[in-house]
Amino acid sequence: MSPAHFSIIEKVILSGLTLIALGSFSYEVLRRVFIVQKGLDSLPFDRFGERLFRVFREVLLHEKVIRERPFPGLMHALVFWGFLVFGLVTIDHFAIGFYKPFMSDSVHHAYSKIVIPFAVFVVFGILSLAYRRFINRPKALGKISPTSGLVAVFIVVLMGTYIYGETGLSPFVWKINWWIHSILILAFLFLIPRSKHLHLVLAPFNIFFRSFDQPDHTPVHIDLEGDEDELDAMLNDLTKLTKNQALDIFSCVECGRCTDVCPANRGGGILDPKYHFIMDLRDPLLEGKDVAVLDQINVEAGWECTTCQACTEVCPVGNHVEKSDEIRRLEVLVEGRVPQEYQKLFTNLQETGNTEGASSSPFADSFPVFTPGKEYVLWLGCFARHGLDPNFNKSVENFTKILDVAGVTYGVLAEEQCSGDPANRLGDKLTYTMLREHNMEQLYETKKVVTLCPHCAVNLGKEYGKYGSINYTVEHHTQVIGRLIDEGKIKVQMGESGKVTYHDPCNLSRMLDIVDEPRTAIKAASSNFQEMEESGRNTLCCGAGGALWWKKETQGRTHLVRAEQVIESGADTVVTGCNFCYGMMKQGLGPMTPEGRADVVVKDVADIVADNLV
Amino acid sequence: MKIAVLVKQVPGSETALPILGNHNWIDEEQVSFVMNPPDNFAIEEALLIKERTGDGEVVIVSMGPARVQKVIREGLAKGADRGIHLEEDGQIQTDPLSIAKSISSILMDENFDLVLSGLQSDDTGMGQTGVLIGEMLGMSTGTLAMETDVQDNAIRVKRELESGWFQWVKLPLPASISIQSGLNTPRYPSLRGIMGAKKKEIKVIPPTDHQTDAISQSIDKVFVSQTSKQTEMIEGDADSTVARIIEILKSELKVL
Repeated sequence: MSPAHFSIIEKVILSGLTLIALGSFSYEVLRRVFIVQKGLDSLPFDRFGERLFRVFREVLLHEKVIRERPFPGLMHALVFWGFLVFGLVTIDHFAIGFYKPFMSDSVHHAYSKIVIPFAVFVVFGILSLAYRRFINRPKALGKISPTSGLVAVFIVVLMGTYIYGETGLSPFVWKINWWIHSILILAFLFLIPRSKHLHLVLAPFNIFFRSFDQPDHTPVHIDLEGDEDELDAMLNDLTKLTKNQALDIFSCVECGRCTDVCPANRGGGILDPKYHFIMDLRDPLLEGKDVAVLDQINVEAGWECTTCQACTEVCPVGNHVEKSDEIRRLEVLVEGRVPQEYQKLFTNLQETGNTEGASSSPFADSFPVFTPGKEYVLWLGCFARHGLDPNFNKSVENFTKILDVAGVTYGVLAEEQCSGDPANRLGDKLTYTMLREHNMEQLYETKKVVTLCPHCAVNLGKEYGKYGSINYTVEHHTQVIGRLIDEGKIKVQMGESGKVTYHDPCNLSRMLDIVDEPRTAIKAASSNFQEMEESGRNTLCCGAGGALWWKKETQGRTHLVRAEQVIESGADTVVTGCNFCYGMMKQGLGPMTPEGRADVVVKDVADIVADNLV
Repeated sequence: MKIAVLVKQVPGSETALPILGNHNWIDEEQVSFVMNPPDNFAIEEALLIKERTGDGEVVIVSMGPARVQKVIREGLAKGADRGIHLEEDGQIQTDPLSIAKSISSILMDENFDLVLSGLQSDDTGMGQTGVLIGEMLGMSTGTLAMETDVQDNAIRVKRELESGWFQWVKLPLPASISIQSGLNTPRYPSLRGIMGAKKKEIKVIPPTDHQTDAISQSIDKVFVSQTSKQTEMIEGDADSTVARIIEILKSELKVL
């Protein structure tokens, strides 16, 4: 602190530099805001309180950042909290140069007692992060970023000059110190919008606007009888980002968490969500000054995605990372470029309403037909109807056994067709429209649907709901089982399944937020339950999502990574809540099991409960 | 380059195939139909040739009841220019010679440079129609093309032979060529293609204008082959057992 006097020349220079820095900063930010504004749809302000609370938790408390990567997360939090504390200091710092400090000496002195420790924390934090980034170099961070190095140096010098300024310097030295500090702050204003450090500005907004739903792709309304110009306009829009998506691109902090968790990437595929879904679009956005950039996504990478939403779930700045829906629908609807096995799948869906092209389902015929007096429509899904893994038939029968014991009435729909999940996820929104319209008609007077297939559950409920109002509720069978146990409608005893673990299906955990109910059911039937390392909403996809079940050739071993984890967990039994996961586990576990070790038993939640009914 | 593609609609590979009461064909009411998969490659090849040569016309030709218009539309949606539908009423014709006569009577005046067909149909699998039509229209004919190369007034074709061998032959145009599956990657109809196909012409030829009376083949009986296991226990001493085994190998299995 010094009673410094600033000459008029100094004030002119300071004003000039400040104007240039602020001008540049505003220009760079506004030019991005301008592009975001061109995006489709509008930014959401619904559930305002919830959104604000999310910003409080994820920005101010840094909850997600610390949870995901505890040590670097905490270091980042130290820098961020320091940044907040320094807000007042910085305003006061410039106020001195222009006119006079707004803090009195005593306030300044008291406040510095808080700020100085924070300055030390910030230095510790930023040096730890720099050590990690430049010495440890985890793969996720990608190429060396010189800007990050510069930022680290700036922050250390800023903290240094602040502390030095508080040590009672001679006016001359104080003044030089003051100028160094000021120029660095102004230089920051240059640097921030031109680098990933723009997340400082945009992340809070991006987290505020993040969708509550996963996945959150805009519905594609197709009316083949409609006006041709409208169809053309719709097809043109397919290359455009929404406002929310455009904001995502500029908010990206390049941390690579999305790539770290990506099952396709971990299995050795080419898909790298950080680049393919986000960063590859940034330059086209800025250069084209427009949001029509979705055709820039690498197509091959897009076909690898399992649509599991792990990338979206993990993003610390609130991005909806996954964009396979966008690139696939462009390929299918606009370009007509579709891998041959998927063309066969689409033809099957169009001609027969099921994925396998079957003309009947003896298995479905073995269940009672739904009649209006019954409580539930039992939605079987193609997996069960057409025996994609015939072993799963028993799981369906186990579920109906549970319903029978509990006295719950149900029946299947004779005219059930595929919910459309594979067509929807593969971008064939026309085939999806046909199936959806057929099924919505079938379900018109239905009140309650229950299904064992999370893919069907997501589509019948959430996805159909995007196209029009639905009059029924959709439950997953694990929810019904969990409730029947809680209500005492069925009694379950602890069984002998050895060490039991649970594989969370992505569609169930991340898309439907059903995490507790399956555990309630399993823990009622097993006293030796152990979580997998990646569980709940942070689960790892089995590899079948995004209609990859039907893909013939995949780069790498996306479909084996999870099975490997199950074996490594040492479990005797792995329970799951999804027919596709069930099928993948059955296929993957056998060949992966080391010789001499008993095969891990695969069960559906319905199996472990039905096996232990009292 | 004016190209006709012969396309057939056949039962899907997974569909149930119930046999009619009189056993001479399947009960089509209960069958789901798709485009004959090999024809898909013929359409793609025709579209690729048109794109490569820069101009021309691709015409989808199909014969059958009203349902076959669906596969014609599918071809139009992929980019073909127009369709010709040789309508049939009653039971469909399965004799390749009379089918070829019907189709060539209609194609006669069109003067196509190329007639492409899939190597065979997935239902009756005769593999003759394209060759017969080529012969009837005085065209050069080639089968099992793995690659095509259109030149001035000629087409070079890489033909698949046995045991991994192939040959290049040069055929003067016009030519009728059957296309081996897998030589290209068929496209999927885009939404614009599907919309555009609605406006494209499908010329319907009524049965009386193309059907011939002279049927050279007719189906006597359609049936699902039965598989059964027969086990014979051979008992007795070593000599009689060996004698019986040799007899089986000689007279029943005919491997000796």
